[in-house]
Amino acid sequence: VTRTRFPTAALVAALPTLAGAAYAAGAATGLVGYGAEGFSLDRIARVLGESAVWRGLGWTLATSAAATLLAAAGAVLLAAVFRGGGPVDRAARALAVLPLAVPHLVAALVFVLLLGQSGLLARALHAAGVADAQSVFPVLVYDPRGIGFVLALAWKELPFLALLAFSVLATRGPGLEETARSLGARPGEVFRRVTWPVLWRGMLPGVVAVFAFVAGSYEAAALLAPSDPLALPLLTWERYTDPDLSRRADAFVLVLVGIGMGAIAVAVHEWARARWAPIDE
Amino acid sequence: MASDRLLRVFRASVVALAVACGDATEAAVDPATLSWDGVEAAARGTTVRWRMWRGDPSVNAYIDGWVAPRLLARYGLTLRAVEGQGPEIVNQLLVERGARAPGSADLVWINGETFHNLREANLLYGPWAHRLPNAIYVDSAAPTIQRDFEQPTEGFESPWGAVQFALIYDSLRTPDPPATVAELARWIRQHPGRFTHDQGFTGTTFLKVALYALNGGVTAFQGGFDQERYRRGSGRLWMWLDSLRPALWRAGSAYPPGVAELHRLFANGEVDFSMSMNQNEVVTKIRQGILPTTARALLLRDGTIANSHYVGIPANARNRAGAMVVANFLLSPEAQLEKLKPEVWADGSVLAVRKLPPAWASGFRAVAAMGAVPADSLTKYARPEVAPEYHERLAADWRTRVRAEPP
Repeated sequence: VTRTRFPTAALVAALPTLAGAAYAAGAATGLVGYGAEGFSLDRIARVLGESAVWRGLGWTLATSAAATLLAAAGAVLLAAVFRGGGPVDRAARALAVLPLAVPHLVAALVFVLLLGQSGLLARALHAAGVADAQSVFPVLVYDPRGIGFVLALAWKELPFLALLAFSVLATRGPGLEETARSLGARPGEVFRRVTWPVLWRGMLPGVVAVFAFVAGSYEAAALLAPSDPLALPLLTWERYTDPDLSRRADAFVLVLVGIGMGAIAVAVHEWARARWAPIDE
Repeated sequence: MASDRLLRVFRASVVALAVACGDATEAAVDPATLSWDGVEAAARGTTVRWRMWRGDPSVNAYIDGWVAPRLLARYGLTLRAVEGQGPEIVNQLLVERGARAPGSADLVWINGETFHNLREANLLYGPWAHRLPNAIYVDSAAPTIQRDFEQPTEGFESPWGAVQFALIYDSLRTPDPPATVAELARWIRQHPGRFTHDQGFTGTTFLKVALYALNGGVTAFQGGFDQERYRRGSGRLWMWLDSLRPALWRAGSAYPPGVAELHRLFANGEVDFSMSMNQNEVVTKIRQGILPTTARALLLRDGTIANSHYVGIPANARNRAGAMVVANFLLSPEAQLEKLKPEVWADGSVLAVRKLPPAWASGFRAVAAMGAVPADSLTKYARPEVAPEYHERLAADWRTRVRAEPP
């Protein structure tokens, strides 16, 4: 493939997103859709003036970042501990990626049934003799702090990031580490100066993708997120299905906010990549 | 090169897709020009796609396992139920009209504010409901059937089922349940953390039940939407809710998204009440093993909201004749009686028993006696819906006035 063809292919790949963004922009500014009355920025101004939108966005950003960081930390830990060629390490790596096949909806439901105040853990507590286990057990489902939500998504994203970490270490790690050791670096130094930089730079695209996905995903939020603040994906869907037809186009303003959030994540990634390029052997 | 080939294949499929979408307009038969026999003849051999809520296994079993085979055997008609309810139906039809695409549904299951939205946006075909031969059995005297949220149906939708709002409680946990809205409020204060409502349609209906009760009954809101009456009436409701809030589940800081989640909280013992827009749902949910066998339906004596649900034909439907044949079959005494059975769905009939042939009438009386609530109490406490704007405003204002304001 010659270099000049590249933009065409990229455009094709981006087409669904671009078409969606263009329609959302049109619907948000009154150019298309039901009740469109010509170009106006009033709707955007009104929706962005609502505190519910900013509180929802803040909640979504904070919980998505927490879930992504938790999953990434777990992935780094797994990759660093189980990196050998022995049967135990190989089995551990296989087990770690197993939940990759679990759909997000199922993962969220499992956490509802596990972490609810009438869930399995609370029942186990009750069976263990804790009187009034239901009120003693912490609020994790529909919890304003989003602990259940963060745990569920961290668990769900961990296998993907672990898989990535395993392959980054396997392909880029050993040679450089060997060189460092032969130059006299101690084990802690090897990790700090070689393994860790190789790992995080190699994982960065995956981490950004996971963050963008988690921030935009609906299923786990629908089952685990609180009613106040209302997560951005839930707020978007609520507006899109508002009983009042004239409010439904509000959803497209929120879609633009979501796309903007994704665009910023990608921009941050590009900046980080330009500054700290991945390390190849 | 491989990527070149890939690009060509991609371009070709985009073109093919565009052609397929644009070309799919079948010549739609206008049933208005046909006799009923002609409608049935035009429907033979066709497929009717029915967009409906698919969230209840007993409803699905009735549609797929009982209605569909009979339509195929008697009218040579294939019924395909597809997912989509309320606002999704409206959005789908708006998008299809915007794209000038032929309809993806021939029949839709609707009522209330969805009917209001569809009529407002001119998305329904009609009038047609009066042409159904089985329409003669419909209980046309019942105000909750003839008018859908105070809107005259004008033949743009055909009634299918009639239901009434009820609270659900466990007779073992709460042997002496409250009987009025005032008693319910007292009960909530005495049992902190044991009551809540959902954020969906059923929850809003509960708020409307309280709205009526706190303002001297439904008559205060009848006769179309009135801004001033809404302001005063809802003001009392918000005050009532504010005073109850500390005693609600999670101190009123979180609410279950939908009624299914509320059922789960109730079944797991996190709260002592659930609610339903169908007084008989408690019977079917017990049979499914979702609710405990000691669960019961409760009608508050201030009156609870009764409404009907309907089927409509979208303006862009490709198979109007087929849709009418399905709607007619749904109104048949046979199909209505089957639907009423507690072991099937327990959805209320829209037919007037006195209009039915005697053999059918006795069957209806026998099945109605198996319902969760005696028929005379249902009638006694039934209150009609008011203009859909009350529902829309209550839902929107609850979100900003209650949900987004931390207690």
